[in-house]
Amino acid sequence: MTVFKDLKSQWSNQNKVEIPEDGAKKILEKIALVRKKQQISNVVLGLTAVVLIAFFFYVSAYKFQTVMIGLLMMIGALVLRIGIEILSLRRLKNMNVATTFEKFKQQMIGYYEKRKKVHFIATPIIILIYCFGFVLLLPAFKESLSVGFYNYIVVSSIVLFVVLSLFIAREVKRELLGLRELQR
Amino acid sequence: MSELQSRFEAIYHNNYQKIIRVCMGYVNGDEALAKDLTQEVFIKVWKNLASFREEASISTWIYRITVNTCLLQLRKKKYVKGEEAIDKLLVSEENTHSSKEYQLKKMYQCINKLPKESRGIVLLALEGLPQKDIAEIIGVSHEAIRVRIHRIKNSLTKCVQNDSI
Repeated sequence: MTVFKDLKSQWSNQNKVEIPEDGAKKILEKIALVRKKQQISNVVLGLTAVVLIAFFFYVSAYKFQTVMIGLLMMIGALVLRIGIEILSLRRLKNMNVATTFEKFKQQMIGYYEKRKKVHFIATPIIILIYCFGFVLLLPAFKESLSVGFYNYIVVSSIVLFVVLSLFIAREVKRELLGLRELQR
Repeated sequence: MSELQSRFEAIYHNNYQKIIRVCMGYVNGDEALAKDLTQEVFIKVWKNLASFREEASISTWIYRITVNTCLLQLRKKKYVKGEEAIDKLLVSEENTHSSKEYQLKKMYQCINKLPKESRGIVLLALEGLPQKDIAEIIGVSHEAIRVRIHRIKNSLTKCVQNDSI
């Protein structure tokens, strides 16, 4: 008959994992590397924004109102989505892990509740804005592109939209499961 | 090396073994995943070390960071995949039923059937922490933790005996 005392003894008698040599030093190096990567990502994001704006002026998009509105809607929707993700990640990163488990659990539940709002309110609106912007651009595409390339753009966008929707749905399901487990 | 860095190194060496053991409990005994989790724990320890005010003992503080970081990290897909893989491994090793390793794996599997909060509590109990310290880590009263520990201990032992939780 197994009693908890036996389990405890099995637990403390398990093989020890060796302490990695220079483990503490490697952790400090990793932290420095992550910080450097974050700085690089910020530069890349900034450059992307500059390129997009430059492209906007290069193709004189501002001269064609429908094209301009369409592009702004698509870019705006993407920027909004990326912004929300960055804020969510920052919120996760800044959670106080040194507090009690109960308080930390409440922080996690708060995080997931906010994510639920993002998934069920913000995301559908963003997707609608993005799609509407894309539809606004279609006449301009049809006018200036070959039939083959135009069809390619339409079909590939639909495929991309379906793949992206499935991916988002899977992520939503995973986060909802996380929330449900915390609320058990 | 700064004073903070030397302090961190000392904390790392003095606590690595116990932290990785707790982390193993969260990932079904998968050493590679537990090492990743342990690394995440120590990253958080480093980031919070400057603000540690000695209101709690260093051990309680580190265990708090451990259970919270594990809860935070277990959202990630790689840890979920790890749990599934070890579950399959256990089924294929049933013929070595009496081995010490099998018993330990069985215990890991049973721990993994518990809700994440109970997992944290039972892992701290297995580490031999006094109930008062566990209550301080979890953030509930001593009386409440006593009842919860009793219930979780029963569930765990029943699972190890009968494979049901």
